[in-house]
Amino acid sequence: MRQIIFLTSLLCCILSAAVAPAAPLPNYEITITDGKFDPEKIEVPAGQRFKITIKNTGTSPAEFENLSMRVEKVLGPGVQSFVVMHPLKPGSYKFIDEFHLDQPGFEIIVSAQ
Amino acid sequence: MWPSFFIVWRESVEALLIIGILYAWAKREQNTHQLNKIWLGGLLGLLLAGALALAILYAGSWYAGSGGEWFLTAMMLVASLLILQMVIWMQRHGRTMKRDLEQAAAAKVAKGSGFGLMLLAALAVGREGSETVVFLAGTIQQAASLSAFIIGAVLGLAGAIITFLLLQAFSHMVPWQWFFRLSAIILLLLGGALLVAASDKVAGQLASWEEIPEWLIYIIYEPLWDSSWLLVDARGSWAGLIGYHAAPSLSQYLPLALYWLCAGLFFIRDGSRMGRKQTQPD
Repeated sequence: MRQIIFLTSLLCCILSAAVAPAAPLPNYEITITDGKFDPEKIEVPAGQRFKITIKNTGTSPAEFENLSMRVEKVLGPGVQSFVVMHPLKPGSYKFIDEFHLDQPGFEIIVSAQ
Repeated sequence: MWPSFFIVWRESVEALLIIGILYAWAKREQNTHQLNKIWLGGLLGLLLAGALALAILYAGSWYAGSGGEWFLTAMMLVASLLILQMVIWMQRHGRTMKRDLEQAAAAKVAKGSGFGLMLLAALAVGREGSETVVFLAGTIQQAASLSAFIIGAVLGLAGAIITFLLLQAFSHMVPWQWFFRLSAIILLLLGGALLVAASDKVAGQLASWEEIPEWLIYIIYEPLWDSSWLLVDARGSWAGLIGYHAAPSLSQYLPLALYWLCAGLFFIRDGSRMGRKQTQPD
């Protein structure tokens, strides 16, 4: 019985959150071509969620990664996917292509508003 | 040469530790049925790794999308729970197994664990193996010197095999009780890390949901503490292998805490039962 009450209230929470209007997330598009990122860095405001759409335009697989931010995405050649970033504190966040460690990687610069 | 060496060795370490320990356990018990199942599981794992590598290369949008994410999540969850089950099973049967095995009825009990062992070996090899295959396939096209690349990969494999053999030798050097305790803890640490990785995948999937409620964001992202002054998150570090995160959130460490609580409870319960058994006169 207690489980049913718990599940029902959980469902209500989810539903009420789901019907609340939300603006679409700001989206940043980047490409990885055999380890080379384009653009090599983006600037985003602090404290906002946003989305990064990554497309692997190279001929070899790529792994978009930043371990402390828990981003780890393997992309085959020609594949596109996205990750959602949580609100960040001002600073610089470095990403790498795990399969091309000789390249400089990618950076998100978060500026205070 | 070093990147390919490093990748092959690093990706094999986790699978090797898991399989090496299970193998040493089965070998000590002289349970050939389990030994065969572990080898078979390893082979199936290689097939799984190959299949996943093909999925990355040829069904990349499935793999990079939610289909692949959920598949990997399921793999890690099953592996982590299997480790817990194996350790508990071993705790219950390990000490009396050799004696019991002489009785036909107990042999059936040992057989029951065969499928779990096989599946765990397969998942351990399959998970990290797929990325190794893809990395090697990707790098081989652009390696400056092909021979250095191949040498690196072969050395990496050799290093992995040596690690495996050392583990086998070590298992015979120390008393069985100590080896069992130590290896059970190592397995549980790896299993806990798998659970953290699985909940990270789930969190990543939930985070991509546009209308995610605030409290869920809090659970997924709000760090409980920050120990990055002590040790940062880095790939391939031992800390990362056992599920360490410098700034863990509730969604990462709550499942881990429950996992260890389960393991601890089983150990305490079985320990006290075992103690009672020994003090009772037959």
